[in-house]
Order: sequence, then structure tokens, then C-alpha cells
Amino acid sequence: MKPTALNRTLALLAFASIVVAACAAPPPAAPQQPQQPAQPQEAAQQPAEQLPPGWKAGIPKNPPDRKGKKLVIRDVPKLIGIGYFAATTRGMEEAAAELGNIDFKTDAPTEAKIEKQIEFIDNFITQGVDVILFAANDPVAIAPVLKKALDQGIIVVGYDADAQEDARQFFVNQATFEAIGQALIEDMVSQVGPDAEVAIVTSSLTAPNQNRWIEEMKKYAAAKYPNLKFVVTLPSEEDQQLAFKATQDIMKTYPNVKGVFGLSSVAFPGAADAVKQAGKCGQIAVVGLSTPNQMRPFVKEGCVKSVILWNPIDLGYAAVYAARAIADGELKPGATSLKAGRLGELKVNGSEILLGPPFIFNKDNIDNFDF
Amino acid sequence: MTSKTSSAVTFLPSRLQSMLRTQEGVLLVLLVVIVVALSLLSDRFLTVNNLLNQTRLLTETALLALPMTLIIISGGIDLSVGSMLAWSAVMLGFSWQLLGLPLPLAVLVCLLTGVVGGAINGLLIAYVRVPPLIATLATLAIYRGFSFGISQARSARGFPEEFAFWGQGQIGPFPTQFVILAALIVAAHLLLSRTGFGRWVYAIGNNELAARYSGIPVERVKFTLYTLSGLMAGLAAFIFTSRVTTTRADAATGLELDVIAAVVLGGTSIFGGSGSIIGTVLGLVIITLLRNGLLLTGVKGDATFMVIGIVLILAVLVNNLVRRR
Amino acid sequence: MISAKPLESPRSSFTLQQEGVIAVAIVALSAIVSLINPDFLSANNLLDIAVNTAYIAVAAAGMTMVIVSGNIDISVGSMLGVCATIAGELARNGVPVPIAFAAAVLAGGALGAVNGLLVAYARIPAIVVTLGMLSILRGGLILVTQGRWIESLPEAFFFSQRSTLGIPNPIWVMVLVSVLTWLFMKYHRLGRAIYAVGGNAEAARLAGINPKRIYLFVFIMNGLLVGLAAVLYASRFTAIQSNAGQGFELAVISGTVVGGVSILGGVGSVMGALLGSLLISQIGTAAIFLKVSPFWLQAVQGGLILLTVLVDVLRRRRMT
Repeated sequence: MKPTALNRTLALLAFASIVVAACAAPPPAAPQQPQQPAQPQEAAQQPAEQLPPGWKAGIPKNPPDRKGKKLVIRDVPKLIGIGYFAATTRGMEEAAAELGNIDFKTDAPTEAKIEKQIEFIDNFITQGVDVILFAANDPVAIAPVLKKALDQGIIVVGYDADAQEDARQFFVNQATFEAIGQALIEDMVSQVGPDAEVAIVTSSLTAPNQNRWIEEMKKYAAAKYPNLKFVVTLPSEEDQQLAFKATQDIMKTYPNVKGVFGLSSVAFPGAADAVKQAGKCGQIAVVGLSTPNQMRPFVKEGCVKSVILWNPIDLGYAAVYAARAIADGELKPGATSLKAGRLGELKVNGSEILLGPPFIFNKDNIDNFDF
Repeated sequence: MTSKTSSAVTFLPSRLQSMLRTQEGVLLVLLVVIVVALSLLSDRFLTVNNLLNQTRLLTETALLALPMTLIIISGGIDLSVGSMLAWSAVMLGFSWQLLGLPLPLAVLVCLLTGVVGGAINGLLIAYVRVPPLIATLATLAIYRGFSFGISQARSARGFPEEFAFWGQGQIGPFPTQFVILAALIVAAHLLLSRTGFGRWVYAIGNNELAARYSGIPVERVKFTLYTLSGLMAGLAAFIFTSRVTTTRADAATGLELDVIAAVVLGGTSIFGGSGSIIGTVLGLVIITLLRNGLLLTGVKGDATFMVIGIVLILAVLVNNLVRRR
Repeated sequence: MISAKPLESPRSSFTLQQEGVIAVAIVALSAIVSLINPDFLSANNLLDIAVNTAYIAVAAAGMTMVIVSGNIDISVGSMLGVCATIAGELARNGVPVPIAFAAAVLAGGALGAVNGLLVAYARIPAIVVTLGMLSILRGGLILVTQGRWIESLPEAFFFSQRSTLGIPNPIWVMVLVSVLTWLFMKYHRLGRAIYAVGGNAEAARLAGINPKRIYLFVFIMNGLLVGLAAVLYASRFTAIQSNAGQGFELAVISGTVVGGVSILGGVGSVMGALLGSLLISQIGTAAIFLKVSPFWLQAVQGGLILLTVLVDVLRRRRMT
């Protein structure tokens, strides 16, 4: 083994010289933005008079004048490879094509992992894009890298899953947590009555959106339907097999359960499949959030009465319109509305752009949607 | 394996040749090719800032890859590293936010958690003689379960500003964690290649029975290796928490595969007995730069995934062909 | 580097005892859980556990061959996703269902052959080849499907949702595959050669067995069985998830090694792998029946697996 020690030393030296050479190489494209250390600096250094009182969201630092200019937009959803985010991407592409002069691309990890998502965003910052759109896997963990983007003058807009408010400029809110929570409970109660046992199949136990929905559901139910009893919440990790198995186990362990909530685009069809294959359609209600394509067979058979969701295509569409409006100086802190193409005028509340009330898909309208 | 190449040759070309015949040599050539190609394709790639920034992203994986190299050389494996990281991070958040410990103490708890996790692995493997793959497959689930159970899937947040130093700050021009990592790489390299302990690790991996007969304290060495792995997981958890300013029970899920990929790409034999820290570092740098560079040139993540898979296989294939000659 | 492993024969008596431990564990767990919740032993629940395990156990039979030969395959999750997508896409586009199923199985075999060729003839360690393959296939699958689930499948496609003679089809397949591969490995010349190569490749070569051909063979068999597992998986649900099979490799390898298949090669049986897979599934369901807090589920599951392994290790130590 001795001679290889020498080899290793040589290799180390060669490697070191490469690194040194790489570091010594003059950075090409000289007029880059000076890179600041990624300190969590606040928007406080901005001239205060631009900001309305109570504005807590972030602002890009010394952004270049982008009015009417070509925009490079990169979208980093929680993950790629699932129908839901394929739909938001479609909406974004549609908006980018309508507006023209936009270089748009979606890229993200293949699993909903915050570490990998951070890596994607960090690399897009290095690439020098104009806009980063994101749906956060974790509101806090994503904040430092988003603040770094803001520090370098990049426009940062969230959709679907928010970050800490000071880590992005605007957030396109598909529906408030309260509205979704209420809609889910009302849908369930309309099917099983106010005195039933219900269970929840969520995505992962750490998923921030899901946890907020569960919180709002329980809060609303406690106030309005105190006899609605939540027996258990099981995770399904965006895997239909796990959602299927969790629902099977719920039906057997808690034989009195009259309804199951499926709280993600994967958990809902998985839960519905389990109820259907157990021959319990009509006896056990399945209520939840998912896309029409994934739920269509269950809705048509009548095993699922209705599917609650916003329109993810519209959500993506609005996010790109928001980005363009920010670049053109039309959407500023204090704005109260956003013109978003075919969606008309969207209401802006503080730093949140509201898409509207949640949408309910049922037997009659589900064929009109393809996502 | 490579020790057959004559060491007495004194003139450089043949020395260079023999160097290129090692996996490290092959990787070095590959790295140069990748760096040149990517820097031609993107002017944002070969910059000081980009390269230094990448070290922030690879630190946690690298910290785990160092003990993993030693463990794999010794003929073992540790699949629980990602879960140990998460458990340690959760303990940091838990002891600071819920128990109200001062932050430095919480960091100590974080490191100790890693040590305890690693020591349990070490006990099971070295003394109870559970095969490493099975033992750490079980603790992978157990430690992940601890993370969820203890945190109740809630994340700790709101760490003070100065805590960000370790994961987001700088020492001179270098990211803090890069300095720590560089020191540990050197230490691990010296430990493996210059000390008796390092030779024991190779000996155990080559032939455990023979190592035992020649008086090497096999159990103690193994126990130390897995405990070290735990300590590194604790350290990685600390730096990770400082970088992302929160602790999550599902942090670093599946990280073990990234770590193992770097180690085997680096030429460490999965059957034990051969390998090096330099190789592992090269392997990790290649994977990281590929991901970074391809993204900068506009290649999408799914295609990048494929490229990395192909490189992994090709690098070893080329090495085999070179060595066979 | 000559392998340090001592010469080992198939040692069927040993593996039988190993299987015994797992079988006892399964019975004991059932008894304890049913004391607290008698529904656990209902036919309904036992069938559910078996059906949920079927596609894992079928792949575990292939994994047993690979691991016994001294190799490993961690690309099975990606392969499952690819094969399931192939079966679904073909069936949706009007290809007769049996042909779509056959295509998925053959695609698995072809992918296995690529793995096998690289391991046997390019002499790349199996973990490197299959780690690379995991990446390549997963990336390729997402590139192709772009996240779209495969739906509106023909009624005939849902093989796994039907029963034959009152027993769900996946259980038939699982039992058939396990018994056949078990008999094959125990009694057929080629099957025994897998043990020989895994126990000591050099000795096997001297005895006239060509290890390379055995490696190629086990990877092709494994690919075919993963293809079959993909058929069971895909035809189980109303729609096929586009990123199916993530983490599947962990489930399969866990079942196999808990079932007593030695990662060093040369030791273990398909029956052990089957029982190991069943035990792990059962532990998952048992924890829910016992109403363990969902936050502690994983810890309890991991703990029970470790307990089973420990009992076995200690028992073996007392024997020697």
C-alpha cells in the first residue's frame, strides 16, 4: 500500500493546483453583481419612504431596471414529477407565452426535499436569473437562500407554499388556510353528519401546508361541530401505496370511522382507492384535496362526491403575471390589485395576492378540466 | 491491488502513468474534463464565488462521507447517517427551544446525540455482531422515528443571528463550514494513511480473521469507526441547522445514498480493504460540480440525474479498463 | 484481493432455522396484537397484509438470488417505476393487456441484463452499477412522464384487484414465485451454483462454474421478477403514479436481509425473504392496530425489526 500514498499525495497536489487555478481564473463576464455574503440581511436598508407602513415582506436590493425587458424566470416547486406541479408549470408557460419576452423554465428535485430545493435555488442565483418562483418545502429553511436572492436584486415570488414573509416579495395565495379547512369540514359534515368519527391521511407529518389545514379544520370543527371526532392522522409521504395502506388500516382499526380526509394530491386518490376496493363506497366518505385528473374515476363512479382544490394552472399563471408586474414596476408594496391576463384583476392583500375561493369539482363539471 | 506497480521507478513520466492508473488518477482526469467542458458552456461556472458557494452545499454530505470511507474500507457500511443527522438536529432544536438550554449546550447535546447514535451502531456491530447492513438498516428507521417522536414533527426556529455563522458565515474569504471541512479532510486523510489505526482499518477490511490473529483490536476499531460516524453526523446536523435556520424531523432523508455514491465513485471498494479519502473527496467534488455546472448551462434536473448515473458507472468502467492494461 | 470468506455450503438446515425464527416472530406478534385488538387476526386483515406484501415479496425473491450470489441491486425501485409505466402506457394505448404485462416483465429482464453485463463482464461492483442505474432510470422516467399519472386504463388491466378461487391474485403470484424460485435454488444445478459462487467465487470457478454467467443470470432473473412485481403494483390501483417505486429498494432489501439472506453472499433462502417481507409489513400494520402515536410509528417499527434480528443473532451465537 505504500506507493499509493505517494500517488495520493500527488493527486492531492494536482487537485489543489486545479482548485487554485480555478480560483485564480478571472471571473468572466466582469460586470456581475458583486456577491454579498449570504447574511440574513433585512430589507430595512431600503429607503423607508417607498414602503407602506406594516410592510414586512422582502424587497430586492438594487434591482436593475427590468421594465419591459426580457425576463429570465426560474420556477422551483417542491418537487417535479407529480401532476399538481406539472399543472402549475403549464399555467406559467401559458402566461410566459402570452406575455412574450420571457425565458421560462421549471426545475426542482424529484423528491420533496428541502436540502435539494435549496441547492436548485442557489444555483439559479449563480446563474443570474431575474425571477425565482418557489413553492417552499419548508418556510424557514428556505428563507436564507431566498434572502440571498433578494440581496442580489432577484425578484422572488412564492406560490402554493409560502416562506417566511421577509424572505420573498409577494406570495400568490391559492386559498386561505381557513377557507380550505372550512370547505373540507363542510363537505365532510354534509356527507357523514356532525356526529361522526373521522380520520386524516396527510402527506408527510412535517408538511407545513397540510399541518396548517389540519389545524384550521380542527379549529373550525371544534367551534361548529364539537361532536366530530378526529381519531387519527397518518402520513403517506406522497406515495399512493402508503396512502392506500394507511386507509385500509384506519378502516380496520377504527371500525366506526365514517369519513377519511385525503390531504394531498396523492393521499386523496390513494384513500379513495382503498375505500373503493374495500367495497365501502357510500358507507365511508372520502373528502380531500387533489387534481381532477387523479380523482376523475372516483368521482364518476360516485365513490367520491366532490374534490376541493384551487385551479393550479391559474395559480402558476398568476405567479408569472405577478413577476412581470413587479419587474415593470406595476406591482409595488402597497398595491391593492394585480392585472393577471385572463384571470382579470386579482386582489392584493398586503404582500399576498389572492387567487379566490377554493374550487369544488364534482360529477357535473370535472370533465371540463384537464390537469 | 495497486501495490503491485513498481515503486522503485524514479523518473516522472512513469510515475505519472502509475498515478493515472489509480482511481484517483482517473477521477482527476475526469474532473479536469468536466471543469473545462462546463466552464466553456457557462461563464458563471468557473468563478471563485460559485466554487466556494458549492462547498456550502456539499459540506454535510462530505462530513458523512469521511467516516463512511473508513467504514467501507473496513468492510462495513452505515446506512443510518441521514437519520442520525436528523435526530441530532432535532435534539438541538428540542433542547434549545423546548428545554430552554443555552445554545452552546444545545449544540453539545446535538453532537452527543450523534455520538450516542453512532455508539449504539458500534455496539451492535462490533460486540453483538449484527451484520452492519442489517444493524444500520434497523437504526435508520429507529433514529428517524426518534426524530419524529421527539419533535412531534414540529420544527424549531428563530435561532439568534450569530448562530448563522457556522452555516452561512465566512472566515476570511471562505465559508465557515469549508474551513472546518478542509481541516477534517486533512485529519481523516492523515488518520487513514499515516497512522497505525488507518492500517488496522485496511487490515480488517482485507481479512478480518487474519487481522484478529495478528492482534488488532478489531472490535475496538469497529466501535470507534461507527461512533466517529455518529459524531460527524452530529457535526453535520449542527452546520446544517445553522445553514437552514430550522430543524426538521425529515431532514437528510435518503442522504446515505448520496454519501455512498461519493465514496464508491471515489474508488473505495465496497468489499472493503481498499480506498482513500482523496478519492472520496474527488468523487464528491465531481458529483457536486456536475449538478451545479449542468444546471448553470441549462440542463434540467432529471437529465442531470441521468448524467450522474452514467458518470458513476463510466468512471469505474474506465478505471477497470486502465488497470487491466 | 482474495476473498477472506471461509468455504460455505448452502447449509439448508441453518437457513431453515433462520426461517423458523421469523415464522415464530410472525406468530408471536399476531398473538400479542390480537390480544389487544382481536380484529388483527381477521381473514380480511391477513389477506390485506399479504396483498400489500405481494409485490415486495416477488421482488425479494429476485433480490435473494442477487444477494446470495454476492451482489446487490439498489435500482429495483427505479426499475419498478419504469416497468409499471411501460405496462400502463401500452395498455392505455390499446395494446392487449397480457402483451402489456409481458412487455413490462421483459423490460425488467432487459434492464436486469444491462446490470448483469456491467457487473459480470465489465467487472464493476454491483452497488456502483445499480446506484448509477437508479439515477439513470429515475431521471429518465421523470423526463418522459413529466409527472402525469397514467389513468383511464382498461378494466382488464386491474389484475391485482381480482381474485381467483376466493384468494386475491397477488397472493397466488407471490406464493407461486416464492415456491418455484425456492425449489429452483435448492434443487436445480444452476440454483445451487448461485450459492457456490456467492460462498466462494474462486472455489466455484475451480469447480467448473463460470461466475460471470451466474452473475448475468441472477440479474436477469431479478429484472424479470421486478417486472412482474411492477405488474402487480401497477394493476393494483385505479391510476399509476408517475414517480412510483421511490424507496422500494429499501423495502425489498430489508425484507430479504431480515429474512436471513446474508449480505456477504452464499447464505439464505427465498422462503426467508418471503417471511421477512411479511414480517415487516405485519409490523407496520400492527403498530397502527396498537394505536401507537403516528409520530413514534417508525421508531417502533425499526425497534421490532432490530429485536427480531437480535434474537436471531444471539440464538446463532449460542449455537456456535
